[in-house]
Amino acid sequence: MLAYVIRRVFAGVIMLIVMSIVTFALFFASPIDQESFICGKNCSAAQKKETAAAMGYDDSFINQWSDFAKGVVAGRDFPDDPKLRETAPQTIVRCEAPCLGYSRERGDTVTNLIKDTFPVSFSLAVAAFVLWMAGGILFGVLAALKKGMLIDRGVVGLSLIGFAFPTFFVGLLLYKFVAIQWGLTEIPRYTSIAEGGIGGWLSGLTLPAITLCLFFMAAYVRMTRSYVIESFQEDYVRTARAKGLPERTVTFKHALRAALTPIVTMAGLDFAGLMGGAIITESVFNYPGMGKLAVLASTDFDLPTTVGLVILLAGFVIAANIVVDLLYAVIDPRVRLG
Amino acid sequence: MAFTKKPLAALAATALAATLAACGGGSGDDDNGGGSSSGKAEKGGDAIFFVGPRTVEHWDPQRMYIGRDLNNSGRLFYRSLVALPASNDPVEGTTPVPDLATDTGTTEDAGKTWTFTVRDDVKWEDGQPITCEDFKYGASRNFATDVIIGGPANYLFTYLDIPTGDDDLPAYKGPYSKKGQELYDQAVTCEGQTITYRFKKAWPDFPLSIAQLRYLDPYRADLDKGDANNFEIISNGPYKLDGDWKEGTGGKFVRNENWDESTDPIRKAYPDTWDFREGDTDEAIYEQLLADSGDAQYAVTERRLPPALFSRKDEAGDRYTQVESPYVDYVLPNFNSPVFKDANCREALKLATDRAGWIKAGGGDQYFKATDSVINPSVPGYQPNPAFADIPAAGDPDAAAAALEKCSAPKPVKIKFTYSGGTPTSDNQASALKAAWDKAGFETELDPLEDTYYAVIQKPDADFDVTWGGWGADWASAGTVIPPLFDSRINLTGDSNGNDYGNYKGGPEVDQLIDDAYAEPDLDAAADKWAAVDAKLGEDVAYIPLEITIFNFVHGGKVTGYANNVSVNGYADLAVLGVEK
Repeated sequence: MLAYVIRRVFAGVIMLIVMSIVTFALFFASPIDQESFICGKNCSAAQKKETAAAMGYDDSFINQWSDFAKGVVAGRDFPDDPKLRETAPQTIVRCEAPCLGYSRERGDTVTNLIKDTFPVSFSLAVAAFVLWMAGGILFGVLAALKKGMLIDRGVVGLSLIGFAFPTFFVGLLLYKFVAIQWGLTEIPRYTSIAEGGIGGWLSGLTLPAITLCLFFMAAYVRMTRSYVIESFQEDYVRTARAKGLPERTVTFKHALRAALTPIVTMAGLDFAGLMGGAIITESVFNYPGMGKLAVLASTDFDLPTTVGLVILLAGFVIAANIVVDLLYAVIDPRVRLG
Repeated sequence: MAFTKKPLAALAATALAATLAACGGGSGDDDNGGGSSSGKAEKGGDAIFFVGPRTVEHWDPQRMYIGRDLNNSGRLFYRSLVALPASNDPVEGTTPVPDLATDTGTTEDAGKTWTFTVRDDVKWEDGQPITCEDFKYGASRNFATDVIIGGPANYLFTYLDIPTGDDDLPAYKGPYSKKGQELYDQAVTCEGQTITYRFKKAWPDFPLSIAQLRYLDPYRADLDKGDANNFEIISNGPYKLDGDWKEGTGGKFVRNENWDESTDPIRKAYPDTWDFREGDTDEAIYEQLLADSGDAQYAVTERRLPPALFSRKDEAGDRYTQVESPYVDYVLPNFNSPVFKDANCREALKLATDRAGWIKAGGGDQYFKATDSVINPSVPGYQPNPAFADIPAAGDPDAAAAALEKCSAPKPVKIKFTYSGGTPTSDNQASALKAAWDKAGFETELDPLEDTYYAVIQKPDADFDVTWGGWGADWASAGTVIPPLFDSRINLTGDSNGNDYGNYKGGPEVDQLIDDAYAEPDLDAAADKWAAVDAKLGEDVAYIPLEITIFNFVHGGKVTGYANNVSVNGYADLAVLGVEK
């Protein structure tokens, strides 16, 4: 088991290194003068050249990536220019390991930017996750148990509608009618638990979480339904029934437990993906999370922030993969790790 | 300021705006300046500013270069030697008045040396006095192009009496590296509270540049952390930031107890607080403003009413205002293209250009107004350019076809129009131009580009024949329009054409006209000289003007003293605005 975990973590680290190299490569392969975006209008060719040097963009791709990698391992001081650090020590920003870089556009370390935005994305992901898992599994099991009946058809039909509407459309609709026109909720605005308590935190999360969960919930209803139906047709369920076990035990202990295995896999990956920021939902509701930060960073070609977010998101997905594989063993006794 | 990606977005930082005869129109004779559409402002209440999706890039005064942020910060928390009064009068609103200085500056040599005396009763938010050295230090930060990136420092590089180094930049490198410090110490000096700036050549409207940009604002050396201070606000105005500024969220401003109203002739500071909310979509902002519900009743914004909601503008009643922006859009023939090297071909293009079609495709006359010069009408130096003034807005296809006969290029004349695309509107506008050009005998290929747009058109060897540009004056002078766009000596640097996307080379005649206009100490005479340069540009068809963007705003029902003043480029003037309690 331990050897398996070590092997998977090692493979994950290799994957992260490759992803950081690919992100750097894509950034510098782009035909855009990245320095123009920070140098601004009325920026002479000489200024542009100096800006590129100050950003480190005039250095080789390999050197830039290795500086980044060193920062992750050992931390880093900014600005990079040692002479400038000597003559203007007041401008030094220490970025402790694992340092993901320093954004000149935003005037802060990427680690700090992530620290500020992660709680927002995490809150949204948790709230949406709880809603879609509860709703998805509940309605999915209900539909499976009532297969072919009106309830089943209603649930499946509604889930199809939920699946069909794009998130930005649902978000704007809820924003416009529920919050603005009908005034049923406050205008959604992220409030941390420290600022607004649990009530304030939840109140700000309501509409964005509903928006985000609808799409997932629709998918999970259909997925749960089909897995549970499939599970009911398995031999061990027939055996359980033949043994005379009560129907509740057959449903929840035998059929549902087996059906849950693939759902847990999906849920883990979906949740991990969301922790990196729900770009559309955060943009529609102006939630200052990592998804919104990613949009800002990509708009103004902010390489350090972009790389940092890519690495973090990839890290979440890789970690979730490992956790899900480990959970398999707990949920499904047929699976043994080795 | 960062390059825009869309033609409709504003490119330039600051300039002037004139109020249209719409709801926002005002005579400029009320207490709050012009464009007022609400009741008299009084102290108290909490005001909101919807910043919108285009987040603030910098609050560092030496790095700011976006009109909205220059205006708002100058009205709420940053003061400089001089400032513009809250007025919608085209003259009064663009004439600097003393702010942190005792007067509007003196010059004994027609603008080559400027001297100001800093008031001795003004303080920073922490109670420290504002000194001459703070001004000297603030100006010095412009030269640290490796740390303070993105501001309008270029003007200071051009004028301040500091030699240019081998890298084509000033030999002084700013207060962080201190390279060339002695050169700066000679060019800018402090004697007591009196600061003197020495220039290489006369700069007659220097005070106006201070009033409309923030690059010469004072700065605290002891609190300077370089670019880590990007969102730090060290206030000397009526409000100070409460807590941190959070990009994408905004920040809240509360009263600065160390600001003394008696020292400030401009800022009324009516609301108790200002909540700057950043990141909302235009639709979200305007749904709230049109509904005039909740917090939005106390809000103003610089975002334009989105086209999808335009039909609902009447819901806002007199809360809707419409003003001309300081921005002008235009197209440029590429002087390096085989076709448009020939003046006859450029003449045909000029006559064929359908400004009316472009405007209609862009949303109509609620969004744009046809114009006849690259200089905005609100900038001194604007005169209807004779080369364009008499051409109908829809162009003159017959005259264009006749002119095209003289064009040396093989017929039909194949041209490629490279423009900033990516939206249905920009594609429709480009198609409208193509239709008219093709009607005259051109065969136009449309080449929409998105993120790569500026990288492509700034290459002198790019293969486009026509391209698009947009601009607004940095301050009320045509000297911040024509040279940045068409002076080949500063733009054409070998591997880049700077802002001269059409690769226009005026030659000795135009160079001399530009130098004469720059050197003219009398601002009225200088305006005439700039108009003469513009006429020459028109004669050469260096550009073809299209339109002036129009601002469409809605503000909350509990906002008082609302004014779209010329002194803040037609945006809401936060210096005189209040809210009901």
